[in-house]
Amino acid sequence: MKNKHDETRENKEEIVESSSIQNSMDVSRETKSCSAAPGAEEKRSILKSRAHELARETEKAVEGRNFIDIIEFRLAYENYGIESSFVREVYPLSNFTPVPGTPPFVLGIVNVRGQILSVVDLKKFFSLPEKGLGELNKVIIIRNELMEFGILADIIVGSRSISLDAMQAAPPTITGIGAEYLKGICEERLIILDAEKILSDENIIVHQEID
Amino acid sequence: MDPKDKEFLKRLLATFRIEADEHIRTLRSNLIEFEQTQDENTSAAIIETMFREAHSLKGAARSVNLKDIVSICQPLESAFAALKRKDISLSREMCDLFHDAVNSIERYASAADVEQTTQKDQVKQRELIRLLSDISEGIAAPAKTQAPEQVAETSDVEYETGPAIPALNDAKTSPSTQIEKKSSLAETVRISTDRLAPLLLQAEEMIMVKIAATQRVVELREIEQKLGLWKKEWAELNGCRSGASGASESHRNDLFEWNEARLNGIQSRLAELTQMVEQDQRNVRRMVDEHLEATKKILMLPVASLLEVFPAFVRDLARSQGKDVDLVIRGADIEIDKRILDELKDPLLHIIRNCVDHGMRKAAERESENKPQRGTITLGFSIKDSRRVEIVISDDGVGVDVERVLSAAIKAGIVSPEAAAKLEHYDALSLIFQSGVSTSPIITDISGRGLGLAIVREKVEKLGGHISVETNISAGTTFRLLLPLTLTTFQGVIARAGESVFVFPTINTECVMRVNSDDVMTIENRETIRLNGRIISMVELASVLELPMYGAESRKAEGVNACVSSYTPIVVLASADKRIAFKVDEVIGEQEILMKSLGKQLSRVRNIAGATVFGSGKVVPVINVSDLIKSALRSGGRAKQAAVVDKPDVRTGNILVAEDSITSRMLIKNILETAGYRVVTAVDGIDALTQVRSGEYDLVVSDVDMPRMSGFELTTRIRDDKKFSELPMVLVTALESREDRERGIEVGANAYIVKSSFDQSNLLEVIKKLI
Repeated sequence: MKNKHDETRENKEEIVESSSIQNSMDVSRETKSCSAAPGAEEKRSILKSRAHELARETEKAVEGRNFIDIIEFRLAYENYGIESSFVREVYPLSNFTPVPGTPPFVLGIVNVRGQILSVVDLKKFFSLPEKGLGELNKVIIIRNELMEFGILADIIVGSRSISLDAMQAAPPTITGIGAEYLKGICEERLIILDAEKILSDENIIVHQEID
Repeated sequence: MDPKDKEFLKRLLATFRIEADEHIRTLRSNLIEFEQTQDENTSAAIIETMFREAHSLKGAARSVNLKDIVSICQPLESAFAALKRKDISLSREMCDLFHDAVNSIERYASAADVEQTTQKDQVKQRELIRLLSDISEGIAAPAKTQAPEQVAETSDVEYETGPAIPALNDAKTSPSTQIEKKSSLAETVRISTDRLAPLLLQAEEMIMVKIAATQRVVELREIEQKLGLWKKEWAELNGCRSGASGASESHRNDLFEWNEARLNGIQSRLAELTQMVEQDQRNVRRMVDEHLEATKKILMLPVASLLEVFPAFVRDLARSQGKDVDLVIRGADIEIDKRILDELKDPLLHIIRNCVDHGMRKAAERESENKPQRGTITLGFSIKDSRRVEIVISDDGVGVDVERVLSAAIKAGIVSPEAAAKLEHYDALSLIFQSGVSTSPIITDISGRGLGLAIVREKVEKLGGHISVETNISAGTTFRLLLPLTLTTFQGVIARAGESVFVFPTINTECVMRVNSDDVMTIENRETIRLNGRIISMVELASVLELPMYGAESRKAEGVNACVSSYTPIVVLASADKRIAFKVDEVIGEQEILMKSLGKQLSRVRNIAGATVFGSGKVVPVINVSDLIKSALRSGGRAKQAAVVDKPDVRTGNILVAEDSITSRMLIKNILETAGYRVVTAVDGIDALTQVRSGEYDLVVSDVDMPRMSGFELTTRIRDDKKFSELPMVLVTALESREDRERGIEVGANAYIVKSSFDQSNLLEVIKKLI
């Protein structure tokens, strides 16, 4: 393989040109990695400070049981939060395959690195009014021990900690979502979904036999 | 107890259970054989084996301190020893007792770490031990005097290579010597299936790599072809160029030459790359196939491993009903995927239970029918066309009374009396697979509820196989099961209906063909075709799967243009001896399929068995053929009528939709197609611009915020081209500010729809005004 490559380099001028581009890229990569790859001493100190940082985080979580970490996302012009501990990952939706015979709230199936997962449109599952045209091109994969699927989101706002004390029970009129699926509502109308409840809701499971 | 010790004991017990299981199975199968054999030498060998097994089991149980098992093994061993010495002869009661003993050992072994025995169990156990001891002890005294020599004589079994083990009647023989002997028999390693299963899974996953490599070769060839086209065009252009001349031309010539040299270089690099990738692909294919084949073999087990429990099961069941039934097994050395074997156990046991329960009569009754007193159930395994295994279970019992099946089915409301009268013998008999149909007059704990065979069929079909039954009154019943040998991969036919692509397992696909519209006959409002002399009904795949109708309509519109070909591609599917032809739009081909589940949330979807991932990364649903046929039979002509319904206000026109979000793109497309427009989609501005230039559109709907080229820029570029200055442009955007709206108008958009207030009607309203 290497020989072949060399041959062409001799024969064709432009190959040299493209490989010189390659070279310059290599150089730039090197410089980059230089700045990113610190010496052993520096590395240790970075790791140490990082460890310190992480350790602090845990400390806080232990001392204040009243905080939960959430992923905040937007869906149909409302801001929602879902507990991070149920979130496996966020996946950009570039394609999906509809599955015939499934209820409308099932958008379809996607291939996440070889694993097939279904994607649920919560807007349809909760029968929220069809309002406007969302982006709906992010999938938040949520799971517990028994269940795993993706939920559609318009935009991922970010992740943060919220205080449970600041959370109030959501009045049922605030969204079309039944109170049983909500953990509560925070300041700035951030609606916290009850991931465990959604994951274990038997209405979300599609199981249909034909006899 | 120290938790560490506890953990150790737990591991020890797990190991013991595996070992005990083996001893128990050997004991059981030998007991059955012992009862049936007439030959002296054989029975001597069997007793010897059983004696050793009981002895080893005792030793193993003692090492993990399971006193219950030890206390049963002790008298059992003595009884075998007495039999060996011919102090006693075997009686039927004795055999029953031995079976009981083995059963209770199994119970204790499986509950080994629970350490709980009820009072009742203990009483039972004491009784069992007493009975066992009676066997040997009644004659124990004379036996001891003549022990050694005779033992050496009878213990001359084939695998005995060294000198006969002395003092076999002595329980002190260390179990380890026997275990050593055993392991020298075959070079095997005991690995738990928990460790093997992921290995197989990984090997299966590698099929993806293979399929992807093939796809890469295809893609590279496509690029090569495109470059080839360019080269041709370029050469022509070059020819024209040489005619022209001028001062400014020289600079342009340089540019041309530089371009040509550069592109030639890319082309030759590409050709090399293609070659290398092709070679990689061939290597990968070979390696993956070999690896998977070898891994599959690890989990291929002889059928015999499944059948060990069967003889004892038949014996116990028959005896409990006062019947005598022999089980004859053929082809037990055939190897099948362990995962299929595991799933097969229950269905097979169920069918056999049915044979004993319903098919077999008591000896006296059989004699009056001129049949041998002992009934025979034959369980035969054979390989068909190297990819499937056929399992035949037949009995020489009373057969199934079809009339009774029919009346049971009518009673359960599965068929109407009129329909029942029309059924042929075979179809009527197949009703026994319907849930709720039972011919048994009484419901027992064993059978009669009419659920069993329905579950059997479901299981068999789930494994990708099918089951059928034949019967002759008073001569017997035969069940036939056809199953794949392995689960991992299968061949699948790929077909398209509308815009959706599906895979049909080849095992259920009878044929793929094109039918001429002249060959289609309509019988009772249903389309049918003739295939190999049989009339089969034909339905539209899209309507059975309830695919959205807009697809069907736009296809119909295309069909009008392309009505030159009156041939429709069809896929003929078969399941449980029902055949139906499904109309599709295109049969794409056949390929190796690795099926995956649809994820935990989609636990079971009607008509869809799972999904597979193509080399391109595309996810394609795999059809559940038995479901699909049921759905087709159910929907019947109704679906056909639904498809004919016309939309009152059908619009026409070609619309290009540019939108980067797949969900929005699909939504807009669906809305427009439902309204009757023909829609082409683009994923961003650049894509849209290329499409606009190469196709003919009546209107463009575009998102504003897109990668590579925004909707604003797209509009500007389209307006720049004189050809498209009048092309209506609708911008759909999340940007709501007045500036943005003004900018939209400024660049030349005809309409501006804000996403937050977007709905179906305002989009259609706007478009209606513009076209």
